[in-house]
Amino acid sequence: MSQLVKLSGFFPRVLKPFEYFEPETIGEATQILSRYGDRAKLLAGGVDLVPKLRRRLLIPEYVVSLQWIPGLDYIKSNGDGLKFGPLTLLRSLELSPLIQRDYLALYEAVYQLASTQVKTTGTAVGNLCVATPASDIAVALFALRAQLRIAGPSSERTIPIEDFFLGVGQTALQSGEMVAEVLVPRPAAGTGQAFLKLVRTAADIAKVNVAVALTLADGICQEARVALGSVASTTIRAGKAEEMLKGKAIDQRIIEEAAAAAAEETRTITDIRSTAEYRRETSRVLVKRATGKALERAKS
Amino acid sequence: MRKIEKETVNFIVNGRKYQPTIEPWVTLAEVLRDYLDLTGTKVSCGVGECASCTVLVDGNPTLSCSTLAITVRDKNILTIEGLAKDGLHPIQKAFVDCGAIQCGFCTPGMILTTKALLNENPHPTREEVKRFLAGNLCRCTGYVKIIDAVMAAAEAMSKGGK
Amino acid sequence: MGQEFAFVGKRLAQADTPIKATGAARYAVDIKLPGMLVGKVLRSPYPHARIKRIDKSKAEKLPGVEAVITLEDTPKILYASSFRDLPMAPSGSLQRADEYILADKARYVGDAVAAVAAVNERVAEEALQAIKVEYEELPFVTHPRDAIKPGAPKLHDYAENNIAARVSYPLAEGDVEKGFQESDVIAEESFSVTKQSSGHMETQTTIGSVDPTGKVTCYSPCQLSFPLRRGLAKIFDLPEGMINVVNPFVGGSFGARLSVYNEPIAVALAMKTHSPVKIEYSMEENFTCVHTRTGDEYTVKMGFKKDGTLHAMQIKILTWAGAYIGRAQLAGGIMLFWGMGHYRCPNKAGECEVVYCNTTPSAAMRGYGNPEVMWGVEQVMDMAAEKLGMDPLELRRKNIKKVGEPSNLRLPIESTYLEDCIKAGAESIGWQEKWGRKKEGLKRRGVGVATMMHCSGAYPLLIEHSGAIVKFNEDGSINLIVNPGSPGTHIWGTLSQIAVEELGIYPEDAHIVTGETDKTLFDLGSHASRSTFVTGSAVLMAAREARGELLEWAGRMLGVSPDELEVKDRRVYIKADPDKGLSVSEVVRSAMWDMKGEAMNIAGKSSFAPTPTSVSPPTAAYFAEVEVDTETGEVKVLKLITAVDCGTAINPMTVEGQCEGGIQQGIGYALTEDFFVNKETGVLESDNFTTYKMPGSLDMPETEIIIINKPDPKGPFGAKGVAEPGLVGIAPAIANAIYDAVGVRITDLPITPEKVLKALKEKQS
Repeated sequence: MSQLVKLSGFFPRVLKPFEYFEPETIGEATQILSRYGDRAKLLAGGVDLVPKLRRRLLIPEYVVSLQWIPGLDYIKSNGDGLKFGPLTLLRSLELSPLIQRDYLALYEAVYQLASTQVKTTGTAVGNLCVATPASDIAVALFALRAQLRIAGPSSERTIPIEDFFLGVGQTALQSGEMVAEVLVPRPAAGTGQAFLKLVRTAADIAKVNVAVALTLADGICQEARVALGSVASTTIRAGKAEEMLKGKAIDQRIIEEAAAAAAEETRTITDIRSTAEYRRETSRVLVKRATGKALERAKS
Repeated sequence: MRKIEKETVNFIVNGRKYQPTIEPWVTLAEVLRDYLDLTGTKVSCGVGECASCTVLVDGNPTLSCSTLAITVRDKNILTIEGLAKDGLHPIQKAFVDCGAIQCGFCTPGMILTTKALLNENPHPTREEVKRFLAGNLCRCTGYVKIIDAVMAAAEAMSKGGK
Repeated sequence: MGQEFAFVGKRLAQADTPIKATGAARYAVDIKLPGMLVGKVLRSPYPHARIKRIDKSKAEKLPGVEAVITLEDTPKILYASSFRDLPMAPSGSLQRADEYILADKARYVGDAVAAVAAVNERVAEEALQAIKVEYEELPFVTHPRDAIKPGAPKLHDYAENNIAARVSYPLAEGDVEKGFQESDVIAEESFSVTKQSSGHMETQTTIGSVDPTGKVTCYSPCQLSFPLRRGLAKIFDLPEGMINVVNPFVGGSFGARLSVYNEPIAVALAMKTHSPVKIEYSMEENFTCVHTRTGDEYTVKMGFKKDGTLHAMQIKILTWAGAYIGRAQLAGGIMLFWGMGHYRCPNKAGECEVVYCNTTPSAAMRGYGNPEVMWGVEQVMDMAAEKLGMDPLELRRKNIKKVGEPSNLRLPIESTYLEDCIKAGAESIGWQEKWGRKKEGLKRRGVGVATMMHCSGAYPLLIEHSGAIVKFNEDGSINLIVNPGSPGTHIWGTLSQIAVEELGIYPEDAHIVTGETDKTLFDLGSHASRSTFVTGSAVLMAAREARGELLEWAGRMLGVSPDELEVKDRRVYIKADPDKGLSVSEVVRSAMWDMKGEAMNIAGKSSFAPTPTSVSPPTAAYFAEVEVDTETGEVKVLKLITAVDCGTAINPMTVEGQCEGGIQQGIGYALTEDFFVNKETGVLESDNFTTYKMPGSLDMPETEIIIINKPDPKGPFGAKGVAEPGLVGIAPAIANAIYDAVGVRITDLPITPEKVLKALKEKQS
């Protein structure tokens, strides 16, 4: 909805006043979130939130900044995998040699986010919490089997990223909860990954985005992850396509069939960026190409 | 935990200390333009999509329209007014000499983004320049002469400019 | 090739860019006046609604609110946002006045209904929310195709079937029906073009201010300061001399700022509050309320003889005006001139219907009808070439007009080098090797061409009067006093180069004084690629006069006749004895500070207005190479070449800059920019750069600008206009290249991958 209609008649240029808090621990942050529920919004990098505040697409009464909570901006890794925090910038992920080497789908997704400034001020977790079905980061993390550690006022839980998105702008976060960490398991040896997207201009939100991760052993596909964005109300996994790839010595015919199956799994819509028909059709093409690329990389 | 309603804060802008009293809902762009009268920082889209409002916060390219000013208190902020102490910085000179400035509205953001690029990568290729400036919209130049200017600035700076 | 110049033709940096590079340049958004208030406009959330009652009492009582105005508080004078309700052309053609300062009825989502002045933006926003408007929603229509249907909701009482105007091609010739009958090959197609947004980066911002004597100052980024002054004089019933229109640095215009927007509201609020009032649009407001290029649906029919001679041509247009007529009548009507103007044709006719509907109005954008119509004409040329079995370049060469033939505006062409443009561009793109070859594979490449003819000012459709003053200072520098502002066209540098070339001084010697109607001579404004040619001619005339005075005084000092003197390198000397001379500064100082009672200002003043034999059109050829992904329909533009005949390039770097910018806008027009109105709500959804996609640095192809650089006999130092041509033929060149690559023809803009893929599938089946 346009802000003009929402506000019955004007275009705002400045933000509406709100109450502003600076918690110093995750505990304080979750407490305040549980106190105010939907009326509070978390502020990380601000690249999504602040413009929405100006445009009145969100009108929270409370804004809670994570800035003063120490230790939320990091990239760590060990034999199990990769971890990063709620204030880890997209740019930090992009420049990480570890991610460039071992988590290529994530790297390609961040690299192809065109705006430098969005990456130097925006956080990856913030990007996930916006819960746009077009998120490039989410698609890559789906393919990489990421898990989210969620902190609440009294307890923590860890969920697979597939369980995080419930709909456009809707996440599994309960009142008082926030994403405390993203965990990405270390890809098994023999894994090939690829990320591809279609956009109107380079610096645009994806019309369709796809990430694929394949793990081969002795030429046979052991694990397959096929994730798609912008083709349903959340990022999705193409489960049937994955099943068609698993346990096989993948060839072009199998790729074509899996890609067609993936397209069948989409629930596309028409909007300002594209049409339902085009999204479905190019889902197939992108899955085909990304799977081919991932396969090639798995073999090399 | 702190709750801030209104606060007198320190900003170090272009090396100079300012102490405006601000409310938390004021953006960095508003503080620079309206409180400090540093109108070289330009606000265009107001949604972080064009990067004309880019300033450097502790060297990091930052969208001042999408940043709450309260979150950058005590930090070092470089705006276009502070780039050269005297005359033109080599990047500014390159933009002038190469014809990279037409209406000039995107220019401050372009130049500061270029500064961040050259700090990080003093000898970029044209492709690297295009990619680093990918979020900076320009409606006048078609970017050709902007990229020329960044390449010329890199060259000039490596020869002993700043 | 012509004479040697000292500064004309040199790649000089622009004198107004260092202050832009340092952030010191003040745009309207940056200006603060003492006691200035913030103005803000209440806009209709409905596409079509009767305004039954406005209760402003609550808003007026808010602390910090200084004024709340509705239509009843304004002069209630109808005007045209194009100023074309005021006579400006010898033909006297007038456009209907159809707008009030604030709307009598809401006609689009965003129509201005009321306005406030308050101490700051937040209070102003609060005040707008406190105004209660009682609307009666009316049925609405968001597309001209639907607006002309019987029974469609009617926007303006006078306009039956929402037809605001009908224009028939005034330069029709021969018998078009007979012409088609006599033709051997006919090519015909329907096209549609989107309402392109200008996408300027500085939002529309105006300051109104009234001093205690009643003198009004209006700071406006407009392109037409003097017409704006005349328009404000009409609306507020003031003498022109009581209004000063100030044009600060402008963050991009591209034609959008030919229209009047918030200027009358700001002045009305300033009159009410006795304080300066500034109205700054948000970007969403800018996209919603600033006029766009016209959207159009049209057919192009062209008949040819077997040998490729164009024999008959007809264009029929439906032009999308939007809620008010804007400049749609002119921009739609002029498509007929451009469309049937650059090829020779004995039988031609055309008509244009300009239609209201409940959207943002349409007006001007770079090219003003020419990109809209060339989109179709240049594709039909390729279709015809295919039917005739000819190379598209050959067909164009055969039919383009030559020197002496009438131009698109029916003025005799004094110079044209379109053939040179075609030749140079074709060589550079590798036309011979690439065009018409068989393509295979997933990604296929193709090349395409388009050509065009434009104008250097809109004469004879408008008077094109400009004045200039050149006055010498005693240091030998000049003040060049002209009106064009600095929207980024580098016009100040161009005019300076013309002046100093004539005066024998250096570019750094020219100090520009500009931007205020109170300080400069009349100038119609910056539009129609006119300033280099028209204002440039005025500058040359004024410089000539100043030069004459300089030589006269120097002659007295040197004891020789002025015609024995030359001036060069800041020095006046005797031609026969070059060692004997004086510096320009010595001469001026002597004249200015003369103690013998004969002191004089060394200066020149001019008025230039084109005549029927003094305006030549610029021409250009565009070559695109594209790669089409046959599985996704994506079009990647690999290379774009613009070969342009703009006469002498006063500053080649500026010419390149204009053409490169035109390529960016042209690629956007071709591929990604779309005016997107939600049909259910009437809301413009493409209301910021997030949803209105303009090309960024990564979307640009390799570009090459070829400047033919042959002088026009009448232009100042041989120059013609070049600000608009860069955009005109980009989209059809890309469309023709796509056809060459994959054999599908897209006729409605923008060429999205969705449309290409669909067309590819239809072609297969």
